[in-house]
Amino acid sequence: MTGRALRVAFWALLAAFLAWDHARAPRIDLRFEPPLLAAGSGRQSLGGHCALPK
Amino acid sequence: MRADAALARPVAQRAAGPARKRLPIALLAAAFAAYLAWSVSVRQAALFVVGAGLGVALAGARFGFTTGWRTLVVARDPRGVVGQVVLLALASAASMPLLAHFPELAAALGPPSVSLVVGAFVFGLTMQIADGCGSGTLYKAGLGVPLNAAILPLFALGSFAGTLHLDRWLALGALEPVGLVDRFGAGGALAVTFAGLALALAAAWAWTRRAPRVAWLDRRWMAGAVALAVFATLNLVIAGQPWGVVYGFGLWGAKVATAAGAFDPAASWFWSQPGNAAILQQSVLLDVTSITNVGILAGALWIAAGSATSGRGLTGAQWAIGLAAGFLMGYSSRLAFGCNVGAMVSGITTGSLHGWLWVPLAFAGTVVGLRVRRRFGFDPR
Repeated sequence: MTGRALRVAFWALLAAFLAWDHARAPRIDLRFEPPLLAAGSGRQSLGGHCALPK
Repeated sequence: MRADAALARPVAQRAAGPARKRLPIALLAAAFAAYLAWSVSVRQAALFVVGAGLGVALAGARFGFTTGWRTLVVARDPRGVVGQVVLLALASAASMPLLAHFPELAAALGPPSVSLVVGAFVFGLTMQIADGCGSGTLYKAGLGVPLNAAILPLFALGSFAGTLHLDRWLALGALEPVGLVDRFGAGGALAVTFAGLALALAAAWAWTRRAPRVAWLDRRWMAGAVALAVFATLNLVIAGQPWGVVYGFGLWGAKVATAAGAFDPAASWFWSQPGNAAILQQSVLLDVTSITNVGILAGALWIAAGSATSGRGLTGAQWAIGLAAGFLMGYSSRLAFGCNVGAMVSGITTGSLHGWLWVPLAFAGTVVGLRVRRRFGFDPR
């Protein structure tokens, strides 16, 4: 596989994964949209992070 | 002759070339950010932009954590490591007061553990073979370097495999995470951090003082350090958590494995935790780390569109060992509670003791990894 073909395959795979997962996941309820900035919002982040053991 | 002709073209015309090539990428990225703002959340759109900024900074400055360590050990050239120390100092100076002031913000607190010791060493070793850490793999994949693009799915698979075994690794021995900001406040944590960074610089000076003199401050590394510190701080303020890379990779692997019916999240200690189970269920576009990872790829692609990038041709054996290293990087970074970004940059700049433990262990692994790299001829003589 040439470098260009590999690059095209890489981006196609990534785009397909994002689109597939977004399509199969439950619909996003925009009423629960978090504030733009977590700092000062009074709401803890619920995101996962690699430093956290669980 | 062609080169002469290119040089003879007006500067404006030469500058227009990369700009024209980058425009479609910029438009696509802007469209994706607009979609996120409209359909997911404005916060995720902002985080995508932050990720793109990280990608532009990493790829534009070729800010490679792996390369910086390698040039320090092999060539006794400290410029990359000095750039990394400047990044850590600037991001600490911004992040620690924020953490002390805003209770919503979380530090990257990993537990000192057997898992961390093994994981950091193996990660430091394999990142030299794969020629890229977590962020390095991302930005080089975005630049179109074939090995790193091929490694990325294996990194995700390895990171996912790490989540499956993490409970057993933690059972071998782990302490509670130690946060310097919680213990000493922002001022105390900063003082301890700056003292540690000064110690690192002193070690670099001792190692390089007999080498031919090079300037310690390099414009490229400094520009990268400042830009990365700004975007890492923005990540903390917007997301409420520090910059990370590896969690997103593990999540991608878990999503694919679940959809393929090869994995039951309920039977996994890691993925049955309420927070992780919820993230696994929801759209990947809602995940903080995933969206900044995609941003980094996009930022690097934007840089690549305006400049020539070529990966050196590798032999079959080099490909095989490089891909195996990629899988191990994913596995070990999960065990180590982060890579150079999640453990080193985010750990140290948010005052986590585990970041300070990670660095010497990963550096010891790097020294071994450089020998393996030489053994398999990754460095042309």
